[in-house]
Amino acid sequence: MSKMTQRKSLDYIKKDYIKTRTMPGSWYLTSYKFKFNITHMQPFLEKLKEKKLVGNQCSGCNRVFFPPRLVCGKCMLKPDKWIDIRDTAKVSTYAIAFLKDKETGEIQERPMVLVHHDGADTASIAELHPDVDVKDTYVGMPIKAHWRDEVTGGLMDIEYYDPFEDDAKDIEEKE
Amino acid sequence: MGRQVAIVSAGFSEHASKRSDVSMPELINEAITDCLKNAPSVGFEDIDAYVNGNMPAFEGANIPELWMTDWMGARNKPLLRVTTGGTTGGTVAIAGYYTVTSGIPGVDTVLAVAFEQQSQGDTSVGLASVAYGEISILNTLGISFDQLSRLLSAGAAIGVAAYQATTYMRKTHITEEDLARVVVQNRRNAAKTWWTHLKMPDLTIEDVLDTPYVQYPLRYGMVCPASDGAVAMLFTTEEKAKDMCDIPVYVNGVASVANETAVLGYDGSGSAQLDPSMQLGAMRSSELAYSQAGISFPRKEIDYAEVYSPFPNQELMWVEKLGLFEETTAPQMYQTGVTALNGELPINCSGGVNATNAIGASAMERPAEAALQIMGKADNQVPKTVHTSIGHGWGGSLNLCTLMVMSDEPQRKWR
Repeated sequence: MSKMTQRKSLDYIKKDYIKTRTMPGSWYLTSYKFKFNITHMQPFLEKLKEKKLVGNQCSGCNRVFFPPRLVCGKCMLKPDKWIDIRDTAKVSTYAIAFLKDKETGEIQERPMVLVHHDGADTASIAELHPDVDVKDTYVGMPIKAHWRDEVTGGLMDIEYYDPFEDDAKDIEEKE
Repeated sequence: MGRQVAIVSAGFSEHASKRSDVSMPELINEAITDCLKNAPSVGFEDIDAYVNGNMPAFEGANIPELWMTDWMGARNKPLLRVTTGGTTGGTVAIAGYYTVTSGIPGVDTVLAVAFEQQSQGDTSVGLASVAYGEISILNTLGISFDQLSRLLSAGAAIGVAAYQATTYMRKTHITEEDLARVVVQNRRNAAKTWWTHLKMPDLTIEDVLDTPYVQYPLRYGMVCPASDGAVAMLFTTEEKAKDMCDIPVYVNGVASVANETAVLGYDGSGSAQLDPSMQLGAMRSSELAYSQAGISFPRKEIDYAEVYSPFPNQELMWVEKLGLFEETTAPQMYQTGVTALNGELPINCSGGVNATNAIGASAMERPAEAALQIMGKADNQVPKTVHTSIGHGWGGSLNLCTLMVMSDEPQRKWR
């Protein structure tokens, strides 16, 4: 539905103002190469190449950050302890995006999720398996990381998350 | 302790999706003229200082306050610009309060102006520049910009609001119908106020549910518009206020609290707040502002509330987090009409941000409208007498909450 018909369907009448002059113009912002410091997360990036996940733990509040963080915002300490994290996770929250494929023009429904890895205290953004029916997604759904075949040492090595049957007895569900 | 501050008047410009008939300075001049019309004894010569703000980079224009000094009457007077993203308006109002309460010699009356003319620029470019600080660190993890925009998904703020909506709906077991009900109430209210943008007097729940999804669970009909508009508020001391208007509105408590961001967290390393609808910042800011104003039972003592709700799920969330209703009970309150114009605790009788969203001005329109309700000058006036009202703002990097508590009586002296 176009925006015009949408407005009509909602009884919204657009106001007409006496227009001033319209002059064409464009604003092009140049492209950059951004540089970032990755010294503090070197162990994390190396472990990713082995398809393993680690987070770092703050010695003040014992929170485990995944992905790792330079400074703990609560304690103002540098988390220095590296902790192994499972590749199983839970859906912390989700939203369904409607994305248009640039080539075919098809609209795809994709659940975008915040994943909460078992063993970590933080959530991070990710995607679910494209074949997952969006209606089956729910908060607290157990999921598992699906790795790419070729790993490069970045978080994008996890291509997407697969849903799976969570039969582990030792993981308590968090409220 | 600082001086007691009072609001003398508030004024709006007309809001619409494209105010192509005026330029940015002319737009704020419209709001200032309306503001001074409400307080006839005040002229430009009585105003001692100015506070000004809008969302940075949304119009693609920097330092707009400097090329609009003459339109504000700010020539050769102290001028301050404050900007904090979505809460800019709320922060501008608080800065106006601070300027008066600090007791600087010769500065008694302050005009606070917030504005936005989104049709002049590109909102997506503006948002990218605002969000960049937060999301850039994800690049270090090897997530490219293309991937990021897909993950955070198109639609900027809605991507985050949808996350909040999902957890809120999960917690309270509400359906989309409950969300649509909030929208209907807001837009019908907006039809009764002259300056609002989306006026829809005959909107029904079915109409809203008939529109397509922008991002589940939010539909096109539930989402706030992008407006052009400006708002002005006049702050002064207690003594001067009595000469300037009949019913001065006293500012009894202000707070502006930021919490850990709800989705990305510091350094993009994820948030320890696993529930985006938890909003500890809102709870803390309400705690601070209420304690300043001497309010112990917000549910009973507050007569009117204006909350910042671009999306309907947020309105339900904020009224609970600000202590106006018990947790998870807000949807029932909208169903039973407690929050309607004639209800016990009317909320957003101007239509709120859901009907008018000139981003930089939005958070200041909330205290401005709440003050007009106490004065009895609002267009959609609540039938009961309003003694205490609140104006709330939300924004920043999704975590900053501003709150202003206003009353028709000065602050209690025991503080």
